Amino acid sequence: MAAGRVPAAQTSNATLNAAINSVARLSLSSAALTFPDADPDTVPSIQASQGPITVTAKARTSPNGTVTLTIRAGDQLRSGLNTIPEANITWVATGGGFSNGTLSATTAQAVATWTGSGVHTGTQTFFFRNLWSYATGTYTLTMTYTLSAA
Amino acid sequence: MRRLILLLAFLFLVPSPARAQNLELSLSPAVITFPSSDPDTVPLVSAAPVQVTYRIRSNGNSPWSLTVLAAGDLVAGASRVDISNVTWVATPAPPFQNGTLSKTVAQRVASGNGNVNPNTLGSITFRLANSWTYNTGSYTQTVLFTLSAP
Repeated sequence: MAAGRVPAAQTSNATLNAAINSVARLSLSSAALTFPDADPDTVPSIQASQGPITVTAKARTSPNGTVTLTIRAGDQLRSGLNTIPEANITWVATGGGFSNGTLSATTAQAVATWTGSGVHTGTQTFFFRNLWSYATGTYTLTMTYTLSAA
Repeated sequence: MRRLILLLAFLFLVPSPARAQNLELSLSPAVITFPSSDPDTVPLVSAAPVQVTYRIRSNGNSPWSLTVLAAGDLVAGASRVDISNVTWVATPAPPFQNGTLSKTVAQRVASGNGNVNPNTLGSITFRLANSWTYNTGSYTQTVLFTLSAP
């Protein structure tokens, strides 16, 4: 009789390891804000010329980890020796996790908070409180965003 | 005497022992590591290539195949990354082919007919689709390679 064939098999195991570490990335649709000059009586609150700024925050964290986006002014608005308190700049936000706020140079203000990993998008529209008491000039300040994943 | 004749007849009628195929398989390295990367800059994370050494003898003109099956998803505590996010690129093609890992159905990595002798090499590079949605952690899983000649 003819010999039959016996199914044969040889196996070998391998182990897959993947390191997923914490990482965060923030992008803004505009890195500059401009408030045009206006009559305080007719425009008491000046909206930034750029309109809503789109904020995209990406972060990887633990399953219940907190992701926080804050903003802090570097100083008051300054024009030579003249100053305007940074608290005269406020924002209105849209998007899940985002909140409205007022700029501060002493304490970082929360822009948004989320739980867990993911990509989040929202907008901030900035407003400048327009007053007759301001000295004329071209004022500037720098704001710093910080995205952190705990 | 009659018993002896019957015994000899039985021995001649029983099929001679089937000659099983001789299969050899080894992997190096047996630990496949995906480093952590920013999903925006490295959307597809590659591990170091795995060298597959295989040899098939006494297989006549019969088909053979090399398959891989994952024991489950990538797991880090309570967090999981679906194993279908792991794909591979294999050379030379043929007999090797590219594919996607599965935890339910063994996926073909290579196939052919007849013998492969002497030892022959293939290379498999596994790749992990990177995502912002993954929870942080050290993920692991076992995959089983099977070289068979049915």
